[in-house]
Amino acid sequence: MSGAASSGIGRPSWANLLFVLPYMLVLAVLLIAPVGLGMWLSFQDYDMLGGWAGGVGFENFTNLLNDRIFLGTVRNTVIFVVLTTPAFIVIGLFLALSLNDRTRRSSALRSIFFGASVLSVTIVTLVWRLVYLPDRGLLADTLAIVGLHGLDPVVSETYALPAIAVVTVWWIIGLPMTLFLAALQQIPAEIYEAAALDRTSRWRTLLFITLPSIRRTVVMVAVLEIILQFQLFGQALLITGGGPNNRSRPMVQFIYEAGFRDLQLGFAAAASQILFALMLLAALAQMWLGRRQDGAS
Amino acid sequence: MLKRTFLGLAGGLLASVALCAPQAWAQAKTEITFARFFGACEGDYGTSQDVAKARGECGVMTTLTNLFNATNKDNILVKPQIIEWGPYYQQFNARMAAHDIPTIAVMHSAQLGDYVRYVEPMDDALKEAGIDTADFTPNARAAVTVGGKIYAMPWDTHSWLWHINLGMFKKAGLLDAGGQPILPKTVDEMIAQAKAVREKTGKPYIVMATSGPGDAANSGRSYYSWMYDQNATIFPNGFEKADFKTPESLATLKAFEALAKADAITKGLDSGGGLGGFLNGAGAIYLTGTWRIDDMLAAEAKPDSPLHEGYAARVFPNLFKTQSVWTDNHTWVLPKGTPAPQHKAALVFLKFLWDHNFDWARGGGHLPARQSLMAEYAKLPQRQYVVDIPTFGKALPHEARRQFGFQNMIGEEVVNIINSGKTAEQAADAMQERSVALLRGR
Repeated sequence: MSGAASSGIGRPSWANLLFVLPYMLVLAVLLIAPVGLGMWLSFQDYDMLGGWAGGVGFENFTNLLNDRIFLGTVRNTVIFVVLTTPAFIVIGLFLALSLNDRTRRSSALRSIFFGASVLSVTIVTLVWRLVYLPDRGLLADTLAIVGLHGLDPVVSETYALPAIAVVTVWWIIGLPMTLFLAALQQIPAEIYEAAALDRTSRWRTLLFITLPSIRRTVVMVAVLEIILQFQLFGQALLITGGGPNNRSRPMVQFIYEAGFRDLQLGFAAAASQILFALMLLAALAQMWLGRRQDGAS
Repeated sequence: MLKRTFLGLAGGLLASVALCAPQAWAQAKTEITFARFFGACEGDYGTSQDVAKARGECGVMTTLTNLFNATNKDNILVKPQIIEWGPYYQQFNARMAAHDIPTIAVMHSAQLGDYVRYVEPMDDALKEAGIDTADFTPNARAAVTVGGKIYAMPWDTHSWLWHINLGMFKKAGLLDAGGQPILPKTVDEMIAQAKAVREKTGKPYIVMATSGPGDAANSGRSYYSWMYDQNATIFPNGFEKADFKTPESLATLKAFEALAKADAITKGLDSGGGLGGFLNGAGAIYLTGTWRIDDMLAAEAKPDSPLHEGYAARVFPNLFKTQSVWTDNHTWVLPKGTPAPQHKAALVFLKFLWDHNFDWARGGGHLPARQSLMAEYAKLPQRQYVVDIPTFGKALPHEARRQFGFQNMIGEEVVNIINSGKTAEQAADAMQERSVALLRGR
């Protein structure tokens, strides 16, 4: 009999649960219980001032599915995720590839690109509102130089959401860039040396060495950004207020307004469940695609 | 020896505590919390007690609180809890849910109907405080009375104005022989004036903030004002169902449509861009409330200001039947659940505020809640033109639920007419649909 076996190492013991108990308690109180309460609320008639008036089954959900403003927010949110997530991956990877060296220039640029991420949403939107100001903002003045007038993204049903997407990518591109940088620095230098000896072009090196090596990071960034961008709120609220004509109102703003302004907690909780389901589905789909590609390679 | 020393020290300590305690008890202040918006301005008014020099809502509120804390003889300490105006009610709701209740809280009268079950009736409390309710203006009385009982101390009446650049009006030929602005009396006259301003100055007729957080309220207040001019309401058939397709509602929406089609109103500006633009001569009229009069007068006094040629404040003009206008009120409520000592102290502070109601009206720009102050208020610059608002201004009755939700929703749809070309009929349809969701709340 080995020493380890005789001392009980490796054998399951209920006492080991004590090590994770503090974490599980915090998780239960701060996450599982609120999520459960939110799910319960979504089936209730619960008014913040009027109080609880009993269960209503799926009425909150059917009301939501017949609410054109809510359906518009679902459309807006999905479009926003589709606009931003690929941008975060492509631009983040481009920046990481460009700045993946030890020069002072790259170091300074890495700091600059990451710098915007530490700004609060209020500061970022204040700055960008000045850029988007109709007639006398930076964008209007710049476009006027080339003879383009009247393109005011804040009041354009077509450009309001892309304008918010631009702000968001500018603001937090630092995170995906940093994640890609970390992944790039894990690729063994020998592989690149071998490719160089074989006179492999830079393009082929990128396609057949770099990208396959950081595939898991790409999936991680995609899943992270999908989850984050589904939660769009501050930028839309502060730049366009959800307008024009509901074309930039995201789901979280709808939930905020329904719950905290119009005080309909049950209705707002039901909208939260739909948002949760959408985020879960999108993230699972992305992970499934990533695993499928892993299996194929 | 050691034991004797220890006992001696302990005895000395006890004696010191016993000697000091009555003094400490005598100095213990009754602290009351004072939840409000109106901004924070400790940098300018942190220690100021000179109310006559205070300007703006924040300056007056901060100075009044400082003065009360320094001079009251009842050993009361008022601790302000300053919350940003935008999320004030959201935070107030959260605090109520957490039983973290302020002693006194500011509340718009438009919100009082929703919160009435959570605040103290104040008829007896106001009498106990020595506040003469007979001095309430009719507007203020209606604002704080729900079901025959008074639920708040009124602090002001505020309303909706046209702030006019007289220099631009002069260029457009819109001043009378006395140099006063000629206001339109119909929608057609308004559009004709807008064309004259555009032709003569190259600028838009009206500047209004429409795209920042909370800016939808500007359009909502304008909508209500023109509805009240037609003696109309959004609840013609009771408070369980709104109707936005009445002839009066459509006429109001068409007035906005006419302004948008004539390119007579700015698009896409937020509050900063709108106010900054108007102060720099970007338009002839700025739509905002009574609370901006003082800022405009300050700008008019500057020699290099585009307003230096003249500024006028006028009630939002009647284009339909009878002059009326949207009004709301800041009021002070006592949320339920305050212990007796704090409740008593709150009444002392409310009486102090009541006695300084004119300072608020002068510095904050709002109309007084006290009838006895109106004559004095009318002597302030431009106030003669707005002083009668409490006699003809209107607000939704307290029975109408979710009034801020309605104001915002109506404002958003009016903004859609202005900024993105929705027709009056499309906006009315959307308002009708959205009102159903709002009235689901209880």
